[in-house]
Amino acid sequence: MEPLASLLHLMPETFWMIAKVVIVFLGPLTLAAVLTWAERRGSAMIQDRIGPNRALLFGRWRLLGLPQLAADGIKFFLKEDLVPTDASPLLFWLAPALAFVPAVMGFAIIPFGRSFSEGGHTYHLSLLDPGNGMGMLYPLAIGAVAVYGILTAAWSSNNKWSILGGMRSSAQMVSYEIAMSLAVVSIFMRTGGYDPQQIIAAQSGLWNVVPQCVGFLVFFTCMFAETNRLPFDFAEGESEIVAGFHTEYGSMKFALLQLSEYLHIVTAAALIVTLYFGGWLIPGMADPPVLLSVAGFVLKLLFFCWVFIWVRWTIPRFRFDQLMHLGWKVMLPLSLGNLLLQAVLMYRRG
Amino acid sequence: MGVVVKKVELNWLDRTYVWPVLMGMVVTLRHFLKQITTRSSRRYTVQYPDSKRATAAGYRGLHELKRFEDGAIKCVACFMCAEACPARCITIEAEAFGDLNKDQGFDEKRPAVFKIDMLRCIYCAMCEEACPKDAIWLRTDYEQASYDRLSMQFGKWDLMNTYAALDGKPRITRDPTPTVPHQPIQT
Repeated sequence: MEPLASLLHLMPETFWMIAKVVIVFLGPLTLAAVLTWAERRGSAMIQDRIGPNRALLFGRWRLLGLPQLAADGIKFFLKEDLVPTDASPLLFWLAPALAFVPAVMGFAIIPFGRSFSEGGHTYHLSLLDPGNGMGMLYPLAIGAVAVYGILTAAWSSNNKWSILGGMRSSAQMVSYEIAMSLAVVSIFMRTGGYDPQQIIAAQSGLWNVVPQCVGFLVFFTCMFAETNRLPFDFAEGESEIVAGFHTEYGSMKFALLQLSEYLHIVTAAALIVTLYFGGWLIPGMADPPVLLSVAGFVLKLLFFCWVFIWVRWTIPRFRFDQLMHLGWKVMLPLSLGNLLLQAVLMYRRG
Repeated sequence: MGVVVKKVELNWLDRTYVWPVLMGMVVTLRHFLKQITTRSSRRYTVQYPDSKRATAAGYRGLHELKRFEDGAIKCVACFMCAEACPARCITIEAEAFGDLNKDQGFDEKRPAVFKIDMLRCIYCAMCEEACPKDAIWLRTDYEQASYDRLSMQFGKWDLMNTYAALDGKPRITRDPTPTVPHQPIQT
């Protein structure tokens, strides 16, 4: 690390910080872009179709449809950037940024590999070092902010479908947040702390998903609601409210909204991995090499990203009242019961 | 009118919703794995411009006016096809030809003009049914498109050459026997 840093005339800490920022910003962003491809091709495979495969790289290579990403990107950049006459221009321009920024921020707390020491320095593989006092409360807070992007987009569009979609999705996010937070709280109780490094270290014997299977189920379900994915994609709804909150959006603004949804999936998958599947831990290895731990984390992350896509193309969507019923009458009691059970168990254990 | 309301009793396992979802995910995963391991030539989707499906045996595609081996048109301009055509898209003008009348006392007839308006044609193959000489066939070509309406008016020479390349026959643009002008058909 130090030779690299001295090459750039930087302190090792500064160099590592910059490197981490680049990794944490570009990594999920790239993954989100690839996820759009995975979703289109994957859904095609699930439905016995083929999916996008006509875009050619330099007019020659198909590469399983991956050039479609570049084609889409170019298309989004070159399209006319329309703002509806009756929309509120400032908020309309602000909304994609409001949706995008929290989506990128969420990943900052996630440790994506084992910390290592070199030349007297300890390097942590998460953007926010452990012991920063925010711990896993940070992604929950950021996740709550994400609702503003959608709501602002919906409100500023001045379109009844948009506002319906935005209202529905914000109601859904708020009501599922409670159950989600309570599920996370029982993890905190098991661990005795809320720092992600601590949570991961506490899972070295047994991943949290086994003792906290109810909590996992609740958290996993709520993650679908938080990321606005099917079966809970109430921000949109082709048959009733067109494209929901981004009905009026086009060109790169639309792409940003779409990209932030996929970024949420990446963050959600990372949260699931960290909280319930031992983060970068590799079963059977007490102290894995750094690169192997990163690989383990990425593998788990990719799997859960795929599960998000997989579930989307399996389950039809809920009706809105069913969604609210599930959120308040099933998920909240389950989560609460899980928390109480955890408390009782801890009390009896002393 | 009575309506039968079907009540489905779910057992406790189905009511958890988790188990049926997992079963559903197994179904989708099975489809996914099956499709991803199938070679692209064996999938349901035909990659159309790259590969084309073979048409069925009785397919009614673009017409061909058949010819004899010397290139003479088989059509005798009897107007049966034009009569049979429900879309009224066939226009025929007959002419007499050949010098057979000197020996045998009759003329031969053939179309001077044989036009099919492909924009009107409904590809019903009634003309093929009606033809006593098997001179018009509807065959396999289904790719007919053009940028203007005029090029969808197929004339006699267009129709005689529609499948020339496919059958390996030469393209012909004139009749082997010259027309005999101003000679009335003897009755």
